[in-house]
Amino acid sequence: MATFTGSMAPVLVLWLAMSLSGTWAVDKGNFKTCDQSAFCKRQRALKPGDSPYRALLETMELTNTRLTLQLINDNNKVRLLLELYRLQGNMTRVKINELKPLKPRFEVPDVLITEPSTEPLSLLSQDENGVVLSLGTESQRVIISARPFRLDIMEGPEVLMSLNSRGLLAFEHLRMRKDTQAEPEGEKKEEADPANQAEKEEEEKVDGMWEETFKSHSDSKPNGPSAISLDFSLPGVEHVYGIPEHADTLRLKTTDNGDPYRLYNLDVFQYELYNPMALYGAVPVMLAHKAQRTTGIFWLNAAETWVDISSNTAGKTVFGKMLDYVQGSSETPQTDVRWISESGIIDVFIMLGPTPKDVFSQYASLTGTQSFPPLAAVGYHQCRWNYNDQEDVASVDAGFDEHDIPYDYIWLDIEHTDGKRYFTWDSHKFASPKEMLQALEDKKRKMVAIVDPHIKVDSNYKIHNEIRNKGFYIKNKDGGDYEGWCWPGSAGYPDFTRPDMRAWWASMFAYDQYEGTAENLYTWNDMNEPSVFNGPEVTMHKDAVHGAWEHRDVHNLYGLYVQMATAEGQIQRSGGVERPFVLTRAFFAGSQRYGAVWTGDNAAEWDHLKVSIPMCLSLGLVGISFCGADVGGFFKSPSTELLVRWYQTGAYQPFFRAHAHLDTPRREPWLFGPENTALIRDVVRQRYTLLPYWYQQFYHAYRTGEPIMRPLWVEYPQDPATFALDDEFLIGKDLLVHPVTEEGARGVTAYLPGKDQVWFDVHTFQKHNGAQSLYIPVTMSSIPVFQRGGSIIPRKMRVRRSSSCMTHDPYTLYVALNLQRTAEGELYIDDGHTFNYEKKEFIHRRLSFAKNMLSSVNLATDAEFSTGSWIERIVILGASKPSKVTLKTADGQESQLEFDFDASMSVLTLRKPGVNAGLDWNVMLQ
Amino acid sequence: FIILPPDMHFHMIIVAVFWFGFVDSRKIRGISSSYKRFFRERKSFLCIDGSKIIPFEQVNDDYCDCEDGSDEPGTSACPQGRFYCTNLGFRPHYIPSSRVNDGICDCCDASDEYNSHAHCQNACWNLGQRERAYVEGQMRTLDEGLQLKQQLIEEGVLLWREKQAQLRELQQVAEDLQTKLEERRSRKQEADRLKEQTPRPPEAGDGQNSTVTGTFKLLDSNKDGSITVDEVQAKVALVHDEERVLSEDEAVALLGGDHQMDLTTFQHTLWDILTNGGRVKVSALSNTFLFVFLSDLREKLAIDYGPDWEFLFLNSQCYKLKVYEYTYTLCPFNQVTQQSTAGTEVSLGRWGMWEGPPKNQYGRMVYENGEPCWQGGSRSTTVTLTCGTETALRSVKEPSKCQYIMDFQTPVACQPVLKQRGIHSEL
Repeated sequence: MATFTGSMAPVLVLWLAMSLSGTWAVDKGNFKTCDQSAFCKRQRALKPGDSPYRALLETMELTNTRLTLQLINDNNKVRLLLELYRLQGNMTRVKINELKPLKPRFEVPDVLITEPSTEPLSLLSQDENGVVLSLGTESQRVIISARPFRLDIMEGPEVLMSLNSRGLLAFEHLRMRKDTQAEPEGEKKEEADPANQAEKEEEEKVDGMWEETFKSHSDSKPNGPSAISLDFSLPGVEHVYGIPEHADTLRLKTTDNGDPYRLYNLDVFQYELYNPMALYGAVPVMLAHKAQRTTGIFWLNAAETWVDISSNTAGKTVFGKMLDYVQGSSETPQTDVRWISESGIIDVFIMLGPTPKDVFSQYASLTGTQSFPPLAAVGYHQCRWNYNDQEDVASVDAGFDEHDIPYDYIWLDIEHTDGKRYFTWDSHKFASPKEMLQALEDKKRKMVAIVDPHIKVDSNYKIHNEIRNKGFYIKNKDGGDYEGWCWPGSAGYPDFTRPDMRAWWASMFAYDQYEGTAENLYTWNDMNEPSVFNGPEVTMHKDAVHGAWEHRDVHNLYGLYVQMATAEGQIQRSGGVERPFVLTRAFFAGSQRYGAVWTGDNAAEWDHLKVSIPMCLSLGLVGISFCGADVGGFFKSPSTELLVRWYQTGAYQPFFRAHAHLDTPRREPWLFGPENTALIRDVVRQRYTLLPYWYQQFYHAYRTGEPIMRPLWVEYPQDPATFALDDEFLIGKDLLVHPVTEEGARGVTAYLPGKDQVWFDVHTFQKHNGAQSLYIPVTMSSIPVFQRGGSIIPRKMRVRRSSSCMTHDPYTLYVALNLQRTAEGELYIDDGHTFNYEKKEFIHRRLSFAKNMLSSVNLATDAEFSTGSWIERIVILGASKPSKVTLKTADGQESQLEFDFDASMSVLTLRKPGVNAGLDWNVMLQ
Repeated sequence: FIILPPDMHFHMIIVAVFWFGFVDSRKIRGISSSYKRFFRERKSFLCIDGSKIIPFEQVNDDYCDCEDGSDEPGTSACPQGRFYCTNLGFRPHYIPSSRVNDGICDCCDASDEYNSHAHCQNACWNLGQRERAYVEGQMRTLDEGLQLKQQLIEEGVLLWREKQAQLRELQQVAEDLQTKLEERRSRKQEADRLKEQTPRPPEAGDGQNSTVTGTFKLLDSNKDGSITVDEVQAKVALVHDEERVLSEDEAVALLGGDHQMDLTTFQHTLWDILTNGGRVKVSALSNTFLFVFLSDLREKLAIDYGPDWEFLFLNSQCYKLKVYEYTYTLCPFNQVTQQSTAGTEVSLGRWGMWEGPPKNQYGRMVYENGEPCWQGGSRSTTVTLTCGTETALRSVKEPSKCQYIMDFQTPVACQPVLKQRGIHSEL
């Protein structure tokens, strides 16, 4: 959904101007640069050098699991408290807060799934220059240097990461306003110091500390300056990733010559590509990778945040003498990162890997894993702003049957409501929603209706009245209910940071509250940055009030809470039985626990198709696996070629939904001639045949936190050729996809990784060697996809109207042999929609091929589930011709299988083993 | 010889019947009678495309052996397969194999869900009855519609002739007028030369009298000897930057502030205004008018009204339909408009062209260049004509912004070909 900036009229003019000039981009002037954001400008003005901070070693307290130590800023004598923890799973947590803040500073709640478990720390040595602590057993140490203060995390002789090595630690302490308030006692004394006095005076001269204006908006800043900043040095690292959401390359760029990457959830109208501007969501997690090690930094702060990245070729820092000794040559590549946030405290989790998968599991142990979605949500979604009425919905639904294209969800955007009053239906256009939902249910299909968090201010609207009466709205700085302009006109914004508000919101999804709903209706949360059309940067005023905190403190968390409460509502309405499905546009660290995200309001342009890959890859690296981009592009109308290519790409991304702007012509898959209908049908069907594999990947992501759609370097961490690739990706570890994202492409060049690895083209079964760049000629029907030799992928080849129609269907196993003639895979089956998998009601089997025998063994002997599905066919790629194939079932019965061997491609197809997919069996080739 | 207890006997018989029933129905399941010859029980089965021979046991055994899917007409095993619903009592048809045993009842005889949890009832008889009733209704409509159409064709021919006559008459008027205008112009030039400003009223000479009467008659559409506001609006247009229909107030002003005007008054007032130099300033309106109904009529007669002028009668008509908060008006061969309850009227397009498919050229009309859209482009409307006994607007939709679709029912859209197709023999 787009937003209008300001009133409607200027947009009309703006739009026309843009159409005429032929250019098309975000109005950058609506969004702040670092220079326009007072705290960013102040902090960035601070250059690397000697830190004014000194560790007061005499204040050190070390318990078994926690070290505390005071830091003092020698310029203003303000003391900070450093806390250091060794966390289970090879992580270190560093917290820095004011020792005695004027009032409490915000610490982010509800993001960590639990208070992280600590591990013992022990003191190795201590002198007047610093302290050396041992981090567990892996010869890891933390060195705390006293003057200036810095932290170095080492393993053996290697420095893994240094904090404040460039002296950029900054902590704007809370203070009384000088012109209006009396100075507190402590500070008065310090004023005796002339140097300090001078610094204070200078401070007050800096603009934007107590008030800041941007365009016509003023931020009253009652708490004054409160920014924090810290730098991290990563020796040996040349590649850093993460900190979504940005429309940029997978590998983050250095920011020396421009703005830092910005993390501030914003509704950006027509966002621009390949720049560090903030978008709808923010996950303050960065991964650093080099061939030997992957590490991560999780900066737990929900305020506006900027991240600077530079590499060592410019301005290297000076290490302490102990470090100089171990460092040796100063020519090692190094990446330096600096985080700046507007308020809160420094609370940073350093994830020490060493492998990419270790980092994923470390991060998952902090913020949780991807929620396990209902199977149907992994199917295809048909969306448009808007399907006009029930008749329209019925006719689109019928169109899918007529053209034999499967889909699972049809979506309704804001126009389905009664005047943008969420939880209601337009009484004319959607007069009988239950009948509509039943008609979809009859075809085993589902619907998603939008529920946004801005609530129309209308005393005849139940939802508004209840929120107002309960005092649940966010307040403005003067204490009244905050009101902003959004789709319904004047709107209030519920304070989702309040647990009681969230509980109430969740209760609104009950079938007796949300009228016209049924079990097959799910929810879409849009505009939850929150989007405020007439607010600063199209969002909420930072001085709006959430109880004890300012909006400034919680901004990036708001969207997470909206999705959290909505998902909870869906769970509750089914009595805790059914899995929810909620899509969100805004997100934060931990949002993976509540559903899916999409990349917002993109456009029907080739570059937007391209950037969907790095955008979803970046999200996957920080735990949010269920990601997709609007297929076809939201704004503007795609050419037929672009639309087909987008379907081909989207079918191989985790969240697969077509969506279109209200003002664009219809683009249901059958509107572009029979040839293109066939191309789209074919690729949607490919998606459905692969649903068993996708579903298993979701289960795996839910269990481990590993991304589903992942960059190649995650699986090939030692192959530098993979480090910057973002035009191809892996699904799980076994499928490599290189979508065609160039207009008029005649071929693509895909890098197939892995020395001694082979890859099979999934369409032709042709075998290719790994560790090579392969040119693949393409036609309009080509989607270059390869199965890794050594893997087994289950498919369901009977593509039906929807995923639910395929529940009992048999499996075909694709066994791709590696050079050792072995292969492994998994098969995961459950009921597809309830939480019963948590009660061990599922089938999880290991399929392995070795020594000419393929066998299925139980991976979860304590789990129980029965399926009607059976093994229909086994296709072995890279096989040789057997003389006899014998199937042996669990009861010891043996039977011969018919088979077919294609010598030209070395493909062996075993006919109808027929054995139940949940049982033990093996097949012997002789 | 063992004597079985009677109830056991019973069971055995049931089992036997079931078994044979199963074998039999498995073999023929999903096949139309015309395909039965391919599935005669033999040792082997040749895929219908001839690509492969398989043992006959593998027909309908829930595994796809033939590339063309022909070995599994009764199961969901083949991706390209299709299943034949016999649908006794209704219409037989094919469904994709993927709809066999998917838990959704597709064949009305429930034959597609022989092994699923769906509880399908045989609904063919009911459907057949409904269909028969529907088809009968359609046939009645078609009969009636065709009769009405015949009348309209006859009327259309008459109307066409009348219009042609009008046109000829008007052309005569126009020629006279032209001469008169030239006279006037030269007189005016002369007067200018003499610096004489006062225009003189036209003289009611003999030759002119017939022209005046002719014009009056043309304006007086219903021939009641008096021109009304409606009639002026229908025939006189405002030309400023571009042509547009007169508003009621403007028409009233032209009629000298009254709602009607007889020939005598006309001769002395409006005639003068209409002929005075072509572009005459009417002080009450502060706008210029042009005598345009000649070109208007010529344009209207240039439109394709079908082979028998059967669509001509629609020309001066308008049809309305209210959908949610909007009232839509289709004035065939003229324009389409949308009026909101608030009252603002928006043009959804002016007459463009016929755009039916080759087989049904007059099946669809397009109205283009309506009010501009704020995304660029302009509103347009596609009107599909369907056969019905009444002429009425049946539905309006806006599937994409600014692109409207109307369903317009009229007897003249009835096609005799439809009738010949008739009802299926099974019905």
